[in-house]
Amino acid sequence: MMNPFAHRVSLNPQVAAVSVFAIILGYMISTAWITNESRFGSRDADQRERLALGTIDQQDKVRQQSEEIARLQAQLTKLQNAVGKDESAGRLLNQSLQELKLFAGLTEVRGPGIMVTLRDGPAEGTDSMLPTELVIHDRDVLKVVNELWSAGAEAIAVNKIRVSARTSFRCVGPTILVDDNKIGTPVVIQAIGNSEQLKTSIEMPGGIWDEIRQTDPRMITVEQVSKMDLPAFTGRTGFKIGEAVVAK
Amino acid sequence: MILIPILCLLLGAAIAFLVNQPLRGEFGIYIAVACLAGLDSLFGAMRSSQEGKFRTDVFVSGFAFNTLAASGLAWLGDRIGANVFLVCAFIFGTRIFNNLSLIRRHWLTQWQDAQLKKRQEALQAQAAASAPNQQAKAN
Repeated sequence: MMNPFAHRVSLNPQVAAVSVFAIILGYMISTAWITNESRFGSRDADQRERLALGTIDQQDKVRQQSEEIARLQAQLTKLQNAVGKDESAGRLLNQSLQELKLFAGLTEVRGPGIMVTLRDGPAEGTDSMLPTELVIHDRDVLKVVNELWSAGAEAIAVNKIRVSARTSFRCVGPTILVDDNKIGTPVVIQAIGNSEQLKTSIEMPGGIWDEIRQTDPRMITVEQVSKMDLPAFTGRTGFKIGEAVVAK
Repeated sequence: MILIPILCLLLGAAIAFLVNQPLRGEFGIYIAVACLAGLDSLFGAMRSSQEGKFRTDVFVSGFAFNTLAASGLAWLGDRIGANVFLVCAFIFGTRIFNNLSLIRRHWLTQWQDAQLKKRQEALQAQAAASAPNQQAKAN
């Protein structure tokens, strides 16, 4: 019997058969390799590490771009005001535009209001408390923001991030994501509106204030502010899917 | 002992890397099982050729059938919720290691035989060399 593995040059049928299938197998293995890498990324760097590095890069970029957006928004407001000064129709148009921008949160807002500060509870906790109850969660922030809106707040910012109609609050590991911005405790929620009304509403018995105070009174503080500035919303504002329905 | 099949294996791998076309979707998993089956066939062929029992028809049909059956069964298993992928990995893994150990033993025996032969030849040469010497001394 011939040994197809022992021959150097001679291509007898047996060696040829094994060789052909060896080519096919080699091709298959490489394809599997490539497919696997394309699915899970390169094995060279630890995935978590690369993710963390990438996130940090992205965070810097996001911060830079947010500043850029805030600058451009202010500039746009100025320009629109300048254009609107000339004609009465333009002025009217600009007036309604500025009102809409104020509503949408695209301008900075100044006024009185309240400041709600949420803090994680003491690390040691008490026997009756689960550790998870002593942490400020995304839902706590969400509830406070929701109660402030319903109490008549006109503008809200969470840790200097303006809350818009599209803002989401999510829990990501030990931090909270407000849109794409990571925040941690203390969470400072500023709301512009009638400060007296806002304060009484938020301190309503059975509300979120009550709920958090039952865990630990130090975890939530509410103070009235006579004047504060909230930054403009710097997240994405474009529409990709929907389009405006124009009345004919 | 340079092996043409091994060169061919590398050639095929190189071609696939040059083509660089990852398989779409779930078939990536099934080609991995097919690879295991193919490796098993190749090592099996290597072992049987060492034992002098290599048959081309058995090899070709075994390679084609095993790769198709392995990936097909793995696919079917995923459809009906039985993880045949693991079964294939286990079975082919066992067989590959089994074949590899037999190949290794064969090579080891071959090498030891060669060493033994060399030593015997050396002894014979020594004996042949010393025989005339003794004769000379006796004289």
